[in-house]
Amino acid sequence: MHRLLDILASGIHDTKNQLFSAESLIAMSEAKHRIDLSEVRYAIELAANRLSRTLTAYQLMRHNARLAIVPSIVADLCAEVALAQKHHLASRGITLSIDCQALDDWPLDRDLVTDMLNNAVQNAGQAARHKIRLSAIEQGDELILRVEDDGPGFGTIPPTSGTGLILAEKLAVLHVRQKRHGSLHLSNGGALGGACFELRLP
Amino acid sequence: MADYSQKRFLVIDDQPQARDALRTVAQTLGAFAVEFAANYQDAIYRIRNNTPDIILCDYMLGEGRSGQQLLEELRRFKLLQDETIFVMVTGEQSYEQVVSAVELVPDDYIIKPFSPDKLLLRLDRIVAKKSFFADYYREKRKEEYAQAIALLEKKRGSEAGRPYRFEILRQQAEVLLASGDSTSAETAYRGILESHDFPWARAGVARALHKQNRLTEARREIDRAITGTPHFFDAADLKATICMAQGEHAEAQKILDEVAKKTPRNFLRKRLLAEAATLNGDSDAARIAMADVIAGDTMPGAVSAEDRLALSRSHVNAGDKISGEQVLIGMREAEVQNLNLAEQASFAALLAICSPEKGKPRFAGLRPALLATELGATARLDVMRAALSITDNELADLHAEQLMAGPEARKTFGSIRNQYALHGREKDFREIQKQVALKRIRHEEAAPAAGAENGIESS
Repeated sequence: MHRLLDILASGIHDTKNQLFSAESLIAMSEAKHRIDLSEVRYAIELAANRLSRTLTAYQLMRHNARLAIVPSIVADLCAEVALAQKHHLASRGITLSIDCQALDDWPLDRDLVTDMLNNAVQNAGQAARHKIRLSAIEQGDELILRVEDDGPGFGTIPPTSGTGLILAEKLAVLHVRQKRHGSLHLSNGGALGGACFELRLP
Repeated sequence: MADYSQKRFLVIDDQPQARDALRTVAQTLGAFAVEFAANYQDAIYRIRNNTPDIILCDYMLGEGRSGQQLLEELRRFKLLQDETIFVMVTGEQSYEQVVSAVELVPDDYIIKPFSPDKLLLRLDRIVAKKSFFADYYREKRKEEYAQAIALLEKKRGSEAGRPYRFEILRQQAEVLLASGDSTSAETAYRGILESHDFPWARAGVARALHKQNRLTEARREIDRAITGTPHFFDAADLKATICMAQGEHAEAQKILDEVAKKTPRNFLRKRLLAEAATLNGDSDAARIAMADVIAGDTMPGAVSAEDRLALSRSHVNAGDKISGEQVLIGMREAEVQNLNLAEQASFAALLAICSPEKGKPRFAGLRPALLATELGATARLDVMRAALSITDNELADLHAEQLMAGPEARKTFGSIRNQYALHGREKDFREIQKQVALKRIRHEEAAPAAGAENGIESS
């Protein structure tokens, strides 16, 4: 039925397996020779994320994307984004701070939301001068996840390019709970004066 | 950060390269010992003999088996305690779909590629969760359900429990179901659904309704759980079980046949398929499925006397009494000695049908017990059938009546009618049916109906 999708999925699956082997070998070398190759591993993970995102985008365009909603601990999600990005950003003189006020677990597609936040932080990393802030807060019956930076802000809203943002918007809307949908809001001038990426999930 | 230097890891993966990668990751965490299993069988052997602390299992295990199937089998055979950490490792994004739907889930799953640090983060949070639930796991294992539920209730109201709200609710519902309180389990699962429409919670509602014999409602809920979750095979099993209870054996067989094709080495499912095929009168399909189970289920001790009885039964149904008898006399003496009463009843009944001169004395010897004891539906059907074949009408009618008056009436109705017709006793069958109906009406007049639907529309 989805033959093309199957071929794509299996190719991506194999590639990710190989990337995993590469990453593990690098980690082993790091331990053995006491060197830091985290930027190499970062590049590998970026490539893998990009592949996954391409598959997701394809499924969305084919209208057969389905979320995998699991109860997720928001603080863990933020910690994972920090783990993936902090080191890389620090090497470029940018500090990523985390402020998670959401204490309850929340039903969401953990991997897609993590990917959206990673992508948002990466984008912020392109524009930020010194600081990026990832925050989470429960407001009413919504979970609000924000990525803010101290860069010049979005040139236009909505921005004219960025597959990641278009994808994020669609994935946000797919989050439905008791007929309430998620949403994406982009603005300028957030807490750090630059761009503000805000994901609201029911 | 938890200390992993004293922990024993087991890495399960059929690809040598991937195994090496996982070992490297585990060693980077300072793992005390890392063992490997290259396949399903090997994994079970190692877990049985010396349970590791942490299992990293790849989702794709080859030979038509998945890490999910391994997990389910380990949990069902109680080879995996709650304290053992089980993490599914996958390059497949589709595993997320599985995990979000099914009832039996690993402690976590992680998508390749990942760094040792990321695994560490995940393991640390699992360790934290397990320590939060530690006292509950102990009570649950001892089957001290009231105590376990009280502990969960306390955790639910605590500040430390906030990140685990859903896990607490899920455990509460599961324990209620395990303790036999299906009404409260239903309420608990419905409570979860109010928060979000999780397929596993919907299946839980269906399971609880099935236990209460509210079959029409159970069927509606399981249909909803299955919609849009093609990976949720257990839900298909449950749906088939409900269909059987409703007497819709053709539908049950069809559902199981489709899922069994996708999971060729899931032998619990094959057993269920054999049961559905038997009830549906498809003795060939039943025989093929049972032969497959007996030849293929290499889990130690997995092939039981019950399986051999099922195979014999499928031969009998196909009219091949010689093969039916061969299966029975091929059973080991020790196995026959250890049969429980229901199995003894089936054994004697099937042997009496296959070979009257060998089986009749044994069957006659059991007769007093068969008149006096409660038996499950399968054994009752066997006994009824043997009794009909040796014209012991009193015994046959007793079991027919009890089946039709019991909760499995719809499930067994067609089989009973066929057997009575086969022996030219249609009239007697209708008489029994009438008596059962009259008794029920009298009973319901005495105590108004509770809502269970185990009656049979007259046909």
